[in-house]
Amino acid sequence: MPREAEPSINEKAFLLQALHEDIRLDGRALDAYRNLDISFGDDYGVADVRLGKTRVLTRISASITAPRPDRKFDGIFTITTELSPLASPAFESGRQSDLETHLSRILETSLRRSQALSTESLCLVAGRQVWSLRADVHVLDHDGGLIDACCLCTLAALRHYRIPDSSVKGGDLTVYSALERDPVPLALLHHPLCVTLVFFDAGEKWLVDATVMELQCSEGEIVVAANPQGEVCLVQKGGGGEVEALVVLRCVEVAMGKVRELGKAVDGALERDARRRDKGGMSRELRAENER
Amino acid sequence: MANTTLSPLHRADGSARYTKNGYSVIAAVNGPIEVQRRDELPEEAAVDVAVRPAAGLGGLPERHLESILQNTLRHVIVVSAHPRTLIQFTLQIVTSPGDDSVTGSLPQASSNLPVLPALLQASILALLSTSIPLFMTLTATLVAVNPNGILLVEPSVQEIKLASSIHVLAFSSHGDLLVVESEGDFTIDKWEEVHKKAKSICHEEAGDESESGSEDVSMSSDDSSKIENVLKEAVERKIAKEQRWKESTG
Repeated sequence: MPREAEPSINEKAFLLQALHEDIRLDGRALDAYRNLDISFGDDYGVADVRLGKTRVLTRISASITAPRPDRKFDGIFTITTELSPLASPAFESGRQSDLETHLSRILETSLRRSQALSTESLCLVAGRQVWSLRADVHVLDHDGGLIDACCLCTLAALRHYRIPDSSVKGGDLTVYSALERDPVPLALLHHPLCVTLVFFDAGEKWLVDATVMELQCSEGEIVVAANPQGEVCLVQKGGGGEVEALVVLRCVEVAMGKVRELGKAVDGALERDARRRDKGGMSRELRAENER
Repeated sequence: MANTTLSPLHRADGSARYTKNGYSVIAAVNGPIEVQRRDELPEEAAVDVAVRPAAGLGGLPERHLESILQNTLRHVIVVSAHPRTLIQFTLQIVTSPGDDSVTGSLPQASSNLPVLPALLQASILALLSTSIPLFMTLTATLVAVNPNGILLVEPSVQEIKLASSIHVLAFSSHGDLLVVESEGDFTIDKWEEVHKKAKSICHEEAGDESESGSEDVSMSSDDSSKIENVLKEAVERKIAKEQRWKESTG
């Protein structure tokens, strides 16, 4: 199988020289994201995120299953990521690469283990029936920023998804189709997002949203997951190069600003989509969720 | 009608997106690339197809589709031009109609023929965008026969459920039958009818003499209804885009 092409020595030297002068090859500022475009499908829970040339598609689906015997009140939430040759010829289908493991671990920690989605809200009949929610993350195009794009896309899809309304009477479960009752949004407790920073020169220089080439020339990376309220869910450093503690703190601070920025972008995209769907302005009257 | 985009992806050697009748598929082709030793063929290129469903992991239905696609594409591509290499297809199903956001557990052994025409069209478009040498192009369609014996072209999910048989037929650009997959109860006479109908949709020359049935309003004599024209239009757009430097220089 072909490997990802390494940049040549000249390319690498050029990129690093430019970085010393605070210039990136695509003309962005060091702490600037590429063009972010979030769009939603006609179905609920399908989000398509483009970050520069990187493109990720997430689809949320739900089915009813029995809960795990030791977690009777918790629904099941799984995130699957698979990097296929669609994204880059260097990815093999069917075999898990290091990047894929890394990606799925980060998504797992930032979205699932930070309790972004309350799994208890997925419980229908305790011990017998729960929702099993599934997020399929399809990476369609890979040009760096994979972790940020996947996390953003999955969160956008989760926020966009509507699960069928249900009621329990005397232990009997009724699930209503979309025609009977408007489906309800998921109970998301907070909205964590990931920001990846890459390092050069032992932490002297760092930049946000690296492309594949910048990633290949870098010494290490640090992933920060946080929510727009300012709570950090995950800080992970990888890649080997050593970095001072103060730099890490500075990175978390920068990441926090970026998370707010990205969060606003998701809010805006969801609002636009809601307006597109709200034909005749009736969605407020029709929805089945309770006003809290 | 059908909606095609050539080369929507940046990293794959060739890619295409094909949307029709509620099915949307993104296809990527990488090739000719290095092949694993055990798959290597001494005198021709190996063709590898992976079909990925929109939700969940691929199971038996996907493997079935992969084997049909692989056997078809092997004859379409000039495999002898690239011995000891691999031509790798990845087909991502993006949407399929009736594919509720709530999925019940489907029976493992059921097949998923209705998506096959979209997969075939997407892969041929991706091949065209890769510029891999081909013997021919192909066009595919789905025809359902309802219990009253009426032929339905590009049926809806509901129509497929009620149909007594469904047929997927693909024709080469020379008008030869390349793929035929049928499911359900039907007679040879009915199949002949289906074949004639499908050919009239897929292949241009045959289209003129066949009478158009009254039941399919969407398949009017309109040019874009011919699947072959959809393919032609996509290629024309690609050529126009690639030759625009020539146009501007005069």
